[in-house]
Amino acid sequence: MMLGFSDPWIFAGFVTTILSALFCVIYGILNWNRGSTEKEGDYREEIQWEREEIELIEKLP
Amino acid sequence: MFYLITFTLMYLAITIYFSYLGYRRTITVSDYLLAGRQVHPLTMGLSYGATYISTSAIIGFAGVSALYGLSLTWLSFLNIMVGVWIAFVIFGKRTRKMGKALDAHTFPELLGRRYDSRFVQGFSGLMILVFMPVYTAAVLIGIARFIEVYLNIPFSTAFLAFLLITACFVIWGGLKGVLYTSAFQGVIMIVSMMAIGITAYWLLGGVSAAHRSLDALNPFVPHALKEAGHRGFASMPGVFSPIWWYVITTMVMGVGIGVIGQPQLNVRFMTLKSDRELNRSIPFTAIFILFTTGVAFAVGALTNVYFYNMYTEMPLQAVQGNLDKIIPLYIDRFYPPWFVALFLVSLMSAAMSAASSQFHALGTSLSRDIFEQALLKGRSVAETTIVTRVGIVFSIFATLIIGLVLPESIVAVATAFFFGLCGATFIPAYLFGLYWKRGSKAAAKASILSGFFSSLAWMLLFHEQESAAFGLCGKLFNVKCLAGHPWNMIDPQIIALPISFIVFIVVSLVTRPVREETVKKAFVHI
Repeated sequence: MMLGFSDPWIFAGFVTTILSALFCVIYGILNWNRGSTEKEGDYREEIQWEREEIELIEKLP
Repeated sequence: MFYLITFTLMYLAITIYFSYLGYRRTITVSDYLLAGRQVHPLTMGLSYGATYISTSAIIGFAGVSALYGLSLTWLSFLNIMVGVWIAFVIFGKRTRKMGKALDAHTFPELLGRRYDSRFVQGFSGLMILVFMPVYTAAVLIGIARFIEVYLNIPFSTAFLAFLLITACFVIWGGLKGVLYTSAFQGVIMIVSMMAIGITAYWLLGGVSAAHRSLDALNPFVPHALKEAGHRGFASMPGVFSPIWWYVITTMVMGVGIGVIGQPQLNVRFMTLKSDRELNRSIPFTAIFILFTTGVAFAVGALTNVYFYNMYTEMPLQAVQGNLDKIIPLYIDRFYPPWFVALFLVSLMSAAMSAASSQFHALGTSLSRDIFEQALLKGRSVAETTIVTRVGIVFSIFATLIIGLVLPESIVAVATAFFFGLCGATFIPAYLFGLYWKRGSKAAAKASILSGFFSSLAWMLLFHEQESAAFGLCGKLFNVKCLAGHPWNMIDPQIIALPISFIVFIVVSLVTRPVREETVKKAFVHI
């Protein structure tokens, strides 16, 4: 009986939950610096998006 | 009462401060150029986690775990793998890029612009406006049950009081700058949940000993539950038994998969500046989910040991069958008064962070998706501000009415209902929109409509939980539901999601693709 479980399916669920969190941590560390500069200085589209988003926020109460 | 007032005032003061700070940081475009909106991954992780995990998980699903045991651990697994990794990596990255390229600001708008369809945006907005209040009500019922037990007041008073607090927060600017507020709320949630997890296991002599004690309670599982497939609190239900179908298809998969179609979560990806921010947020979000839902479901099951050891009765009997009161009663009886007050503050955090993002989605669904796009055909007018407010006030009233009419033990059920409905309605159109250029406008419409209506049809005619409650099947066919075991226990999403997937693919192959310039624009950064 690992971790006090008699049902292997519950044990598997318990362990895979922890392993999936570990997997996410490892993924984040391995990709920590990936995906930073795709725009190469052209921010027009994002500024337009941001302007629209601010307008949307302004319309909220 | 001293602790409650002190902690609540401190919490409200800090929340208002963060709300103001967040709002101030969003008010100029130049902030953006100065990297003013560069979001720290820890902030994003906590904020996303606090929006995702609400009182529904801590009170509702933990209560379900007290009844069905540790089988809900599989939901924690899906919460992390699907709700974090798949949501961020498979969906989030492309959602961010496509959202910026199409200038989309709500989830229905992303779908509508991707498929060049006002109908898709308008219908998606309408679906959210009509059904999301069920989920919002579930979140608020969660905390109201705790207040009911803690202050010993009627449920309706507790529900009305907390809804009033939330409404004041929302109406007086609480929806602006939610990022820092929800991150702060996330900190409170994770700290108190970790404290509960550690003490719950420690007081039972450690992890293994606690699980063994749970196993030892197998003889005390009520007879009716045993007959339906319950095999103990530390065991999975009997395979293909009624409880197995219910736990796996509704509780585990309903929320575990349906999270992908959640509009208030998907919209978060569009606010990020780069994939790097997204990659860096993944570990923090995953750890947050592990220590909130993981702990909640484990402690939910362990309440059986605590109640049995102390009162020789099971928690289900102690709460007269209302699952939503198990965690409140456990915290109230087994923790010191100062911690109970602190836990109430953490529930306030969980409820307000989730509810404010829901009211945000509800307000923009009416104003932007239904009013501007579907009714005004894309024109932006000054009246939108009023319509947004009308949307939010309507949602608050809808939440109020739904919250007061819903029955007991409903928090997890109502949450699974909304998550499942969103999953079946949106996932195929969303996934193919991000990955398949051939997907057509007609396919998106047909998939969304078939997912939505087949879910509703399954609920009203086949799935016993709803068909018996609504009584339509009884009136039409004189039976509780149209098919027996196992069909009456299989969650609508399990039937409707494959239907909407197949419909999308088939209709795409026989209809004209979306205009080339729209597709080109959508995929410009991909």
